[in-house]
Amino acid sequence: MATTITIDPVTRIEGHLKVSISVDTVNGVQQIVDAWVGGTLFRGFERILLQRHPWDAQHVCQRICGVCPVSQGTAALLAMEQAGNVQPPPNGILLRNLIGAANFVDSHILSFYHLAIPDFINGPAMPPFQPAWTADKGTNKRADKTTTDALVKSYLAAMDIRRKAQSLGAIFGGRMPHPSALIPGGITTSVRPDRIKNFKQLLAEIQTFIDSVYLPDVDKLGKIFADYFDIGKGHGHLLAYGAFGSVDNDFSDAPLTPGFKKADSNTVALNTRAIAEHVTYSWYDDATQNLKPTDGETTAKYPKDNAYSWLKAPRYDGRPCEVGPLARMMITGDYTRGISVMDRHSARAQEAKKLTNSMVDWLAALDATAPNYTESAVPVSGRGEGLTEAPRGALGHWVAVENTKISRYQVVTPTCWNASPRDVSGLRGPMEEALIGAPISDMTQPVEALRVIHSFDPCTACAVHVMRPERSEAVAVLYDAGINR
Amino acid sequence: MTQGLTRRSFLTYCTASAAVLGLGPFDLFKIRTALANPAAPKVVWIQGAGCSGCSISFLNLVSAAAPINAAAVLTDTIDLIFHPTLMWASGEQASGIVTKTINEDNYVLIVEGGAPTAFDGGACLPWSVNGVEVTFQQAVVSAAARATKVICVGTCACFGGMSAAGENPGGVKPISTAIGEPTINISGCPPHPDAIVWAIAQLLAGNPIDLDGDGRPKAIYGKTVHNECPRNRTKTGKDWANAVGVDNLCLELLGCRGPDTSAPCPTWQWNDKANWCVDANGNCIGCTEKTFPGPYKFHRTIS
Repeated sequence: MATTITIDPVTRIEGHLKVSISVDTVNGVQQIVDAWVGGTLFRGFERILLQRHPWDAQHVCQRICGVCPVSQGTAALLAMEQAGNVQPPPNGILLRNLIGAANFVDSHILSFYHLAIPDFINGPAMPPFQPAWTADKGTNKRADKTTTDALVKSYLAAMDIRRKAQSLGAIFGGRMPHPSALIPGGITTSVRPDRIKNFKQLLAEIQTFIDSVYLPDVDKLGKIFADYFDIGKGHGHLLAYGAFGSVDNDFSDAPLTPGFKKADSNTVALNTRAIAEHVTYSWYDDATQNLKPTDGETTAKYPKDNAYSWLKAPRYDGRPCEVGPLARMMITGDYTRGISVMDRHSARAQEAKKLTNSMVDWLAALDATAPNYTESAVPVSGRGEGLTEAPRGALGHWVAVENTKISRYQVVTPTCWNASPRDVSGLRGPMEEALIGAPISDMTQPVEALRVIHSFDPCTACAVHVMRPERSEAVAVLYDAGINR
Repeated sequence: MTQGLTRRSFLTYCTASAAVLGLGPFDLFKIRTALANPAAPKVVWIQGAGCSGCSISFLNLVSAAAPINAAAVLTDTIDLIFHPTLMWASGEQASGIVTKTINEDNYVLIVEGGAPTAFDGGACLPWSVNGVEVTFQQAVVSAAARATKVICVGTCACFGGMSAAGENPGGVKPISTAIGEPTINISGCPPHPDAIVWAIAQLLAGNPIDLDGDGRPKAIYGKTVHNECPRNRTKTGKDWANAVGVDNLCLELLGCRGPDTSAPCPTWQWNDKANWCVDANGNCIGCTEKTFPGPYKFHRTIS
């Protein structure tokens, strides 16, 4: 008979997550047979933005997430530039790409070493490394002492390298996290020789780390935990909006291209009109079923039979899609091996390497004599869609401006895709589906579930913490006003 | 690993950085004594309504005076008993650690993020104990009750900040309001990592911290950004910048809040002195202040 286990808190994520799994023995193996990633999440950021000046958006939105502030700020800039018909100069785009890619690299290193690795090895005998769940890992089970010590050393070294990647982003961003230099029309920072020199030095050091430590460590872990190339697949549908294009949002030379890849099919062009949000298992009125983000309505309905999440279920052509580094690298064709826990870590590391290579090119393309910013009028009214990629996956902002004030703001985060609940067809969300079939060796410490969860690098800081409906009647009023999703 | 697991290098760091940190030899001796004492304060770091950016900033610690970083702090400096993003424990093993620790007397509490009070505190449920969810409001009150000191890290914890902005949909309150007693406020969105470690070092040394009217250490927040700014017109003798993206000119007319903002940014700078907001021609947006993020505008247009 199946037993349900709840993990609360799921630590080592950004924000807060609670996951329930149902465990049973199938064909002699104790494994996950069902899963609910019932994130009931609330922060009300869209409401915080209402009535603010349009040019405040990139600063406010960065505070959605301190881990990927550049992506949130960039989505806001793209949306606002579309609303105001503003086009940054080539230098402005290159500088944004440099700041944004640096943020990807620091986030990817953090994700693998500091958030995921602890699920695979036993740490030093002191806080915050111990206590920890020890099932199916550690010196006597999987990794030997030499390997464990080497990975702990990498963990500590990676802390310093990710810090340097933050410095890399700060050179042209002004500081990290929450850089000051993002502005509609470009970037405020000047391209000076000392900054180029500093950037080159830091970038070279980070590239050396990726080549000589990060990629080999991912390989090493993949050999010890080779079974995790067959665990955590999920539905297999992948989606990317693309990022780091050139002017006019041209992705022909971009390292990360937009696209949709149906399971076991070829990648096709992205069509944002295929995106709609289901609410069958979410606490929203079924009358708002299957709406596109641009037309999205948010009418809460609580209580509601069978619902278990405040997250809606975004679907592409009715399909639950995985977003993130693996989705991106398979859509570009850079990664082909497959979809699993270990494939996510491999693709994330390879994407970090790819982006550092792009950074070398972007840095060389900077013209120190050309402007980084186009003077532009603040929009009095307009609408805009800002689509980009955050380290964790596809990110969209939708904005409306009236009377030179923000009148509407909607954010759909990557983790909303990955951690979504079941949809109108009863299909599980990507992370839920990926948990199915993962073996659980010890019901009291289901570390295997954490390996699946952390491979998605979930981030819920954008919608901080759990809100339980039974204590939250008032939230219905807020959701009626279209605050959050 | 042995070397990495001693507290010795923190002492080395304090010694090397004594001038920067304002620590005299006696302070260092007190730290040494405290570190040798098995009952040295443990640190519990909890997160309410925020974006995790304060933790990210803490991890960016680097000292020019000694080869020290966040890894060294974790391994050599403090017993970080609880930190949701960094701890290796999970589930009720993790919440059990904090429950146990806050029933002992000897720990420093660091709070990141504000305290959401909407929906009877149900807006923020950081963990469960025995299958029952705990509100952040309950968690921070019980954790603060026996803490040696409470350090608020970041403007959300200090003053509500971005999490309490606009209509404050989460009913987010500053931690001092939530627990009903003053806190040591290391404000900033994000706070500077040196300021966080400075506060910890002072507490380890047993030093009293002289606070301003907003609970911020005067030693760090005693001067305005504008006064210390190299672009201040009394120092440059130049006119104001009247367009975005111009180096070396005062940004006041573009909406820079340096004159109204107390912070050490012009001298400390950010990310191992890679840059700082104003040197990037970005406005100071006043992120260390109680008034952040306004209803004021972050940018002012001249034309």
